Amino acid sequence: MSPEAVDPIVINTTFWIATAIFVIAYGLIVSEKIHKTMIAIFGAALVIVLGVLEQREAFHIEEFGIDWNVIFLLISMMVIINIMRPTGVFEYIAIKSAKLGKGEPFKILAIFAVVTAVMSAFLDNVTTVLLIAPVTLLIADALDVDPIPYLISNAIASNIGGTATLIGDPPNIMIASKAKLEFMDFIYNLSPVIIVTMVVYLIAIKFIWGKSLKTKDELKDRVMQMNEKEAIKDPVLLKKSLFVLGVVIAGFVMHGALHLEPATIALFGAGLLLLLSGIHNPHHVLAEVEWPTIFFFMGLFIIIGGRVKVGLIEMASNEVLAITQGNMFATSMVVMWFSAFASAFVDNIPYVATMNPLIIDMAQKLWPDLSGIALLHKPELMPVWWSLALGACLGGNGTAIGASANVIVVGMAEKAGHKISFVKFMLYGMPIMILTVAVSTIYVWLRYYVLGI
Amino acid sequence: MKAKELMIPSPEYLHPDDTLRTAVNLLRTARRDEDKLGTKGLPVLDENSKLVGMLSMADILRAVFPFYMGMMELGEFSWDGMVEEVAAKSEDKHVDNVMSKNVITVNEDASLMECIDHMLKNRIKRLPVLNKEGRVVGMLYERDVFFAVTKAMLEKEGGAIE
Repeated sequence: MSPEAVDPIVINTTFWIATAIFVIAYGLIVSEKIHKTMIAIFGAALVIVLGVLEQREAFHIEEFGIDWNVIFLLISMMVIINIMRPTGVFEYIAIKSAKLGKGEPFKILAIFAVVTAVMSAFLDNVTTVLLIAPVTLLIADALDVDPIPYLISNAIASNIGGTATLIGDPPNIMIASKAKLEFMDFIYNLSPVIIVTMVVYLIAIKFIWGKSLKTKDELKDRVMQMNEKEAIKDPVLLKKSLFVLGVVIAGFVMHGALHLEPATIALFGAGLLLLLSGIHNPHHVLAEVEWPTIFFFMGLFIIIGGRVKVGLIEMASNEVLAITQGNMFATSMVVMWFSAFASAFVDNIPYVATMNPLIIDMAQKLWPDLSGIALLHKPELMPVWWSLALGACLGGNGTAIGASANVIVVGMAEKAGHKISFVKFMLYGMPIMILTVAVSTIYVWLRYYVLGI
Repeated sequence: MKAKELMIPSPEYLHPDDTLRTAVNLLRTARRDEDKLGTKGLPVLDENSKLVGMLSMADILRAVFPFYMGMMELGEFSWDGMVEEVAAKSEDKHVDNVMSKNVITVNEDASLMECIDHMLKNRIKRLPVLNKEGRVVGMLYERDVFFAVTKAMLEKEGGAIE
């Protein structure tokens, strides 16, 4: 435990500056009047200019500044996907999935949900949706069925699937980095409940859309006549990409044993694929990295670092402790459900960025004698991390603005001439969110508090 | 040589509320000089005769091209009759939903080089020509610019234009 954490919180000008920057920045991010990345960059600059953090702290100190683990993991995975995309492999997978459904509209919906969830466990949710949704719209046009169920299901399945692994969704990447959790920790603790959740989700959509989706037999032929092999544009690059992806996933699985951080594994994969791909100038591949997202993270980390430094996070953690009285089961449940509803309405990235230091601070108060891994991995604390991940990721399904994937499908539906209103999305999203968080609640209770495994 | 000397004066135009059916009829039959042949683009003027957009052949193709096909490589997976289906659904769309809204224009006194500058840098083949009040007075086509340029080349050689 660091000695400064026991210092009493000093309410001075710096405290109020940090608070004001945080409140105004988050208010503007929620209002969506100005692009969130611009707010984050300017807010971060203010944190340093006004002396809340020194530049050295913002850029180089893990506790207060930019979490480069998250940044390099995101950038590296984006580079790998950007190189893979032109091979046509994603078109191949999507068309193959549609044909697997034999042109039956509901079967295709269900298969797309599973494929989206699995892809999303290994890729960013937004990337997955951008790779699946266009094919979804094509198939819906071919079958002359309403594309809205397919689009909504794409988003929901990607949010569920992304929860399963360390790299599936940014909140998990952030939690893993702060809590020093490994890839396999997520596989052991989150993947099982996500598999169950997906089964429950498939049963739910059978009830919701099972009967309403119908097509004519001659339209099914349109799908069956599509030849997915035509999608593969560059078989050589595809083989290289799959090889590197295999290396990266194997690296993630073993990163604990190798004593390498996930960001290192991903960076190695990105570098290797860049070299193997035969690309002469990486300009395009690098330009297509989603820099606005990356800079949003960087700015956000600095703004939150300012809050941690002045003790604002510590005050919040005192409040949580006062409510839960140190009861860890109650803490897990409060964290899970509060995270779910919070993430349904605000971006789960700033939310988790705030919750991580809060949970660490709370743990320091509960177990003042522990520090480092012994503190972060205290058995009583582990279910709280998993509850945070489950709540924050699954909560994104609640509303049309709960997750970036939702925002994207709503935008695509509108472009395709089918408006999904805020209420319409919520009518499907909110019950599914509550259902999936309920499944997670039972899981956390049963596994960690009853069975204790 | 100035824009107004090369332009085709007082072109036909469209209204933002026209349906695509009306628009494509005009696009197919609009006059160019004395020949009656399909035109490559028409200016769109609002009720105050202010230029608000351009509707070109490419905009019509874009109107039947689903946006999602631009997001991935899906051309191979389209089916026979797909365009006809979308075209039938699109005929009641309004011109302002389909037209290009960022229109590059030139003043009628603009030099020929300025016109070429706009065409090359913006990769466009036609430029609406505006008078001092900002009204559209004509259209300048790449073809006419081409003839002006080639005329200059051939005259310099001293040879007659064949």
